[in-house]
Amino acid sequence: MATTEALDSEISDLYARISTLQAHRANLASILLSQPHLQPRLEQRPVLHERNRRNAAKIVEKQAKRNIENVYRACAGVTAYKVKDPDPYAVDNGNILGVRIEVSIGGKFVETYHVLFNRPNAQHKNMLKIHKHTIPPCIPLQPLANKWLPITRKDAETTTEQNLLKFGRSLRKELVSWHLRLEAVEKLRVEAGLENKSAEREEERAESTIGKVLNTFVSDDEDEEDEERTRRRRDGPVRITDIEADTAVREITVTWSDGRAAVVKVAKDGQIEKAAVRFEDGARDSALVRKAVGRIEGLIQRLTA
Amino acid sequence: MAPNTTTTVPDYKNIPHSHRLPVTHREVQRTFNKLSRQSLISLAHQWLSKKNRDFCRPYLLSDRDADDEDEEEAYTPAQSFEELQEVYKELAARKGGKREIQDRILEGDWRTGISMYQLATAEIQYLLDHPNSLRWTAKRLAKIPNAKSAVLDMEVTNDSEHLPRFQAQTFMSNLARELTPLMKAHYLLTKIKTLPMTILRVYIHDSPYSSEASLAATTASPDSARSVFFIWPNGSPFVYSSIANHLGQIIGDDGKHLRDIVQQAIPKAFSRPSARYQLASTNFTTKSLEALLTYRGPGRGNAAAGGWSIFQDHSFSQNALDFITTQRERGDAHEKSGADKEASTGAKPGPGRPKRTLDDTESPEAKRRREVAEGRFGSSAKPNDGQGLERVEVRIDDPFPAIPNTSAQQEVDTSDLNPGPTSRNRKGRPSVLDRSLEEVEELQNEEAWVPDVRVVFRGSHVFAGIRQLVEQGVIDGEKMPGWMTGEAGVTIGAVKEGRIRTKKDHIPGV
Repeated sequence: MATTEALDSEISDLYARISTLQAHRANLASILLSQPHLQPRLEQRPVLHERNRRNAAKIVEKQAKRNIENVYRACAGVTAYKVKDPDPYAVDNGNILGVRIEVSIGGKFVETYHVLFNRPNAQHKNMLKIHKHTIPPCIPLQPLANKWLPITRKDAETTTEQNLLKFGRSLRKELVSWHLRLEAVEKLRVEAGLENKSAEREEERAESTIGKVLNTFVSDDEDEEDEERTRRRRDGPVRITDIEADTAVREITVTWSDGRAAVVKVAKDGQIEKAAVRFEDGARDSALVRKAVGRIEGLIQRLTA
Repeated sequence: MAPNTTTTVPDYKNIPHSHRLPVTHREVQRTFNKLSRQSLISLAHQWLSKKNRDFCRPYLLSDRDADDEDEEEAYTPAQSFEELQEVYKELAARKGGKREIQDRILEGDWRTGISMYQLATAEIQYLLDHPNSLRWTAKRLAKIPNAKSAVLDMEVTNDSEHLPRFQAQTFMSNLARELTPLMKAHYLLTKIKTLPMTILRVYIHDSPYSSEASLAATTASPDSARSVFFIWPNGSPFVYSSIANHLGQIIGDDGKHLRDIVQQAIPKAFSRPSARYQLASTNFTTKSLEALLTYRGPGRGNAAAGGWSIFQDHSFSQNALDFITTQRERGDAHEKSGADKEASTGAKPGPGRPKRTLDDTESPEAKRRREVAEGRFGSSAKPNDGQGLERVEVRIDDPFPAIPNTSAQQEVDTSDLNPGPTSRNRKGRPSVLDRSLEEVEELQNEEAWVPDVRVVFRGSHVFAGIRQLVEQGVIDGEKMPGWMTGEAGVTIGAVKEGRIRTKKDHIPGV
């Protein structure tokens, strides 16, 4: 048994080593290919087969294109490109203008979103219409499009003005602020010490429950009130048991172990505008409500202070 | 069953979680028969946990009456909740049949009845175990345009909201207010952990009473489905609805009618003053919850289906800091080379052109077809991706292609044969695809003959099937219209000029 295990671990070690080396090799290759003046040098040197030279030139060119593309994408944040719709029945011969929005947080590019436009109207050639996109529904794409990219009716004389630049700018703002809010909630969880615990709890709960029942309050039986009180937990110091946010991170719910719960409303820029904190018996905690209002980042500090 | 001492009068209450159905009740039997051993044990654990005990009281020793003592019992009642929890933990640890657990629950620990809460959680458990067991229709909560606030609706400000806000408590009380005068119902609203969604189960009790006794008495026809499911994917304007029918159970008109009542109440429960909602159809029906979450979910896939899936799964755009152009594993290399080419040439090939013509080793034809399929379908429509649509139906609104040697005589004949599509006597219910009056008018204004042709694709995964046909060369992948790749993201629609008709000004997928 021991030998097979040892062999298995050795094999997996080797695989890991191979993949690191391959990654390293790829890295070195792209560094090499990005050398300045590589193209002319390739042309000057004599080679055995002309085909090899052509291949090399192709690879170098590919790398150069990628470098330029990445630099633009990384620096501009919003970039445009052209693609072709493969659908033979696509409008405007399948010409598609793509807009790519990069979201970077904490020195990393976390996500790329695309909006693809076509030109459905033969008379008003400049009019763009959103054809496909990868924007999640919690981002107000339709209102933004209504505002900046109004669609001209087919029979209209003049084209209504569209502003793609402003559309891209405001869409990017929405996307970035959403990601920043997501990030902020993650940080709040870490601050409240929920990160590891929640993972554990998740495992433990995954076996036993399907989810959180939201309408336990519907119960009309009045005699249950007493039990409710007895089973209330009073053990240990009060701590935050859960921080939950909706998908758009416009509402965050904080739950304490003594049954207190706070719901705060977050504006898109991360400002907490309104808050409601209730004790388990339903009474409001106005002191905490006042503390909660402010930036999202310091919420836990303010609430626990 | 506990004797019902209170008088039964019609009232305006919901059915509480703790009301019990006798274990012999048809719904109970059916639901429990379907569940697996593991699910039953996990449910029992759930019911015995502290917060649920009020709704799922088992039969304990203390509940036993003195005169029952001499009765023969297959299962001795437990002393306490803790003891029961231990019992189920032991059962979970060892192997055994499913029947053992089912009998223990129904004849032992919960012999006095299964509460509404238990039944609801059991049904939801089954739904999560078998996500393809029900047929779902996706709807969208759309704001009813308001003349006064039209300008306000358009504005995107720092604190504007474009999605209906889902607040469980408010929603439930609104829904109950809408429904209780019409019927009694039990509601269970659950936020699911494993999937990004919230499930509402409504058990419809078609009776003026909300007492336990009236629940047990089956007044409606025994075979009609009693419960309705609604799912809200988190952070999206969609609602999926379904009637929970057991296998082979027919959804009667009653069931449909009751579902419609609940369905109509839902947008009302969401509405607030100055923000009224209605349910709009999204032309999407499927059995697969996973497909629903992809096509009508909270993520990025809603408006990038079919070949456009390369835009959502990062195969079109690498990370902006990823400079490595060499060394990719094979599957990846295809897409990447396409992306690179498009960067180099002015007009990119995008999703759809054969990506590589180099290294043709074996069967160039098959390889080419595979690449065409790759281009048209991108990373979607893989046979085992769990996102199969079982039925896709389209109506072709394009004029019938002219036959080269048609004589004038034949033309006359065809116009006689086509006395207007709506007057045709189709059997059964009117279909969603029946042409509306405006559409008929529009078509009659055209010169050409436009017959009412409908194409239905059926199978376990329609678009994976079409992809395979393209790869086999049965369908010409390059001439195939885009809706056959599933990129329109509908399961029912009308095709005009080779494209699925869409509403004007409406952006797909939001």
